[in-house]
Amino acid sequence: MPLDVNFILRNLPLFWKGLVVTVELSLLAIGLALVWGLVVAFARMSPRWPLRTAAAAYIELVRDTPVLVQMYFIYFGFSMAGLGLTGFVSGLLALSLQNGGYIAEIYRAGIESVSVKQVEGGKALGMSYWDVMSLVVLPQALVRVIPPLANQFIVVIKDTSLVSAIAVAELTQIGKLLTERTAASYEVFLTIAVIYLIMTGIVSGLSRLAEHRFAIYY
Amino acid sequence: MLPQALIHNFAYLLRGAEFTLLLSAGSIALSTAIGVGVALLHVFAVAPIRILVELYLFLARGIPLLILLFAMYYMLPYVGIDLQPTIGGILVIGVYYGAFMSQVFRAAILSLPKNQWDAARGLGMRRSLMLEIVIFPQAFRIAAAPFVNTCMQLIKSTSLVSIIGLWELTMAGRETVERTLAPFQIFAGVALIYFCLCYSLAAYGRQLEKRMRYVH
Repeated sequence: MPLDVNFILRNLPLFWKGLVVTVELSLLAIGLALVWGLVVAFARMSPRWPLRTAAAAYIELVRDTPVLVQMYFIYFGFSMAGLGLTGFVSGLLALSLQNGGYIAEIYRAGIESVSVKQVEGGKALGMSYWDVMSLVVLPQALVRVIPPLANQFIVVIKDTSLVSAIAVAELTQIGKLLTERTAASYEVFLTIAVIYLIMTGIVSGLSRLAEHRFAIYY
Repeated sequence: MLPQALIHNFAYLLRGAEFTLLLSAGSIALSTAIGVGVALLHVFAVAPIRILVELYLFLARGIPLLILLFAMYYMLPYVGIDLQPTIGGILVIGVYYGAFMSQVFRAAILSLPKNQWDAARGLGMRRSLMLEIVIFPQAFRIAAAPFVNTCMQLIKSTSLVSIIGLWELTMAGRETVERTLAPFQIFAGVALIYFCLCYSLAAYGRQLEKRMRYVH
């Protein structure tokens, strides 16, 4: 089966439209998950047990259920309750909530990998808990968690394809519609696969750069 | 107030869960076989084959599973291959997760101390014997916890086949919602069933991990 390059070129604007939505969704989801993950991580390490238990339960809950089911829960659930969320917002919420749980555990592993002596040293200098955290522990921990975070970012990019199931016109959905309309499945899926590979490739490349960049400082 | 819709349809959802388990078992078996094979190739094979392995890993890491499922669904019929959907689903998920499994096994094989290899070679063992009685028994034990973790991811990923129209737990949930118009209840129930499956596996994995630490 020969590859119809013209078909791909002709439909590039359409792919571009889908790509923009995919990139927007990925960036927003990872941004929210990074912030939310930090909140959950601190709750998970809190000295107060109710907070700690709640955070642990939350992490188990979002990690042990498929993100697709979470999307359906939010999308169909809220629309039935009369608070219709768009597919984009539902997908964004589900992705941020689930990956917030994963990222919280990544942060925690990073923070706990910083030696206790660092914390004690900070305290001995008269620093408050938040000073020790923000000036001593977090800068070291964040450098260590760059590779697993980049990995999670790649997972998020790949998982944005699932919002095609709740009617968001992102890359995968565009591909699906285009295939159903033109039957040029070969060209469409090849193009889309390459676009995803480029996106994930950029993230892993950036992660390697960041690792080197901060390794010097560290 | 009892979740009536969920209670009445729970048996139906459980039947969906049966299919999810079937799909998972099939794909776990396939991905494990692929994973072990690819890990061995990655460690031992000559350079050109290793490059092919790297390519396979690169593709699996960078392309969403859903795209591969769509490709199977839309493309294979044009090429003239008519797969039964369940088999197709198991094949795609198995091949996709084979890449992640191979990383689990490869890491375990490489994590063994070098003197294990040297000692086995010093005793004059052939490579096959060395793998069989020295490397595999230790590597599989090390791989156990991350293996269970990957299985968990795989079980969650089987939900994607509902998007290409296969009937399993998530699809059963969607049908039930269309019938009962109670999405919160039903999808919470669906999530609960997934949670039970994954949480028990995760707990088992943590136990394995603890036992591992005790051995060393």
